[in-house]
Amino acid sequence: MNIEGYEFPEGLYYDKNHFWARVEGDLVVMGMNDYAQKMAGSIVYVGLPPEGKKLVQGKSFTKIESGKWLGKVFAVMSGELVAVNEELEKKAKLINEDCYGKGWMFKIKPDNMDELKNLMTDPAVLQEWLKVEIAEHGKK
Amino acid sequence: MLFFDLGKVPGQQSMLVFHALARLGIEALVAVSPKSPLASIGYFQDAQQEVDLQYCREAGIPFMRREVGGGATYLDENQIFYQLIWKKDNPRFPKAIHEIYPWFSEAPVETYRTFGIQAEFRAVNDIITSSGRKIAGEGGGNIGDSMVFVGGILLDFDYQAMSKILKVPDEKFRDKVYKTMEENLTTMKRELGTLPPREEVVNVLKERFEKRVGKLMPASLTPEILEKMKQLESWMTSEEFLLKKTPRIQGGVKIREGVEVFYGLHKAKGGLIRTAEEISEGRIEDITISGDFTFYPKEGLMGLEESLEKTPLKKEKIIERVETFYEEEKVESPGVESEDFAQTILNPIMDSK
Repeated sequence: MNIEGYEFPEGLYYDKNHFWARVEGDLVVMGMNDYAQKMAGSIVYVGLPPEGKKLVQGKSFTKIESGKWLGKVFAVMSGELVAVNEELEKKAKLINEDCYGKGWMFKIKPDNMDELKNLMTDPAVLQEWLKVEIAEHGKK
Repeated sequence: MLFFDLGKVPGQQSMLVFHALARLGIEALVAVSPKSPLASIGYFQDAQQEVDLQYCREAGIPFMRREVGGGATYLDENQIFYQLIWKKDNPRFPKAIHEIYPWFSEAPVETYRTFGIQAEFRAVNDIITSSGRKIAGEGGGNIGDSMVFVGGILLDFDYQAMSKILKVPDEKFRDKVYKTMEENLTTMKRELGTLPPREEVVNVLKERFEKRVGKLMPASLTPEILEKMKQLESWMTSEEFLLKKTPRIQGGVKIREGVEVFYGLHKAKGGLIRTAEEISEGRIEDITISGDFTFYPKEGLMGLEESLEKTPLKKEKIIERVETFYEEEKVESPGVESEDFAQTILNPIMDSK
């Protein structure tokens, strides 16, 4: 679905830190949403922590750089980091080019799939939330 | 909001302070200069790849990884750093990065103007003079629950010292970095012909920031802040943090937005080709070519360098220029083709993308 000019594919889960989650078997893949990648501008580096790191939903666990700004990456689910997108090491800009595809960031083995309930999926809820975000942060 | 006018403090303290304030959630403006020189690297930089650590050790220049983006830089007492820290949910300040930089840069821009330097903000994060030279670089980041915006007023700048702290492949490249910095980076002293008094600059800077952030209340570092700085110091100066491996791939040395110096290296059939190339707005601004290949007549190489100036960074354009030069000047380079030069020039640029 397109919300205010930004792509938010249906079937994904979204958190309020601007990251998405997609269930793949017993794993959850996460990445940055279209609004956030556009606002960040050209992404130059993403910290890729070692696999096995324990993550807590809503807590930051690594950093990301664009325009000499060092931002944070927040976990969409609690669990264990089981894979990182190695391609981002060479080309973090993949997040700008294809944030829901080749620009995926991490795979998590969740402790509890019930945490998905804390994320947004309903288009109406997403739309309402994004409108507020745009009012506060602007558009790009 | 508090105002810490710290004057000149030991090198690393000048950086630790904003990291500590951000973690403590203390909203403040800090004006500070390092008493002794310091090398600072961006969060994602690999220190061993980008800083000449042996030189720094021998020269007694400590280096520090900051929790802010950007590249390696040289800090000393002739730079006044402004560090603004605010809580990320403070509704008075912009939240989007593309708004933060121009919004807060107004204060240093107006400070330069007050002293008669026609400065302006240039996206993404530079302050430039009317002649297009950079006079301040800025950066920022989210630290703890705070946002931090940092930059430096250049009273004067030691170009030579900056070029020495960088890890470079050879001295020709270092020289190119030095010259490109000298051409593209300016200071208050260079613009005004004299070094303005530090206190006057700080006072103007404070006033201009007050227009943006409201009244700034003078404050001193409390035991709590000093304790936090001490805690951070042991972590931020540890080898684990300083020398950590990062995903950053060494590209060129960025001088200002749109201007970068790259090192090219390519093995052709006829030998190794090296370039130190200054790239400005998508074109070769200046280039030095060396290597162990044969070039007849030897003096012709300088002509080739000149003929490549202003060439767009397109493979076919570079090849065309090289071939035209070979035809006109009747030069020869056995085992080194025009395509080899194009590859040498373009490889580091492609790698950096």
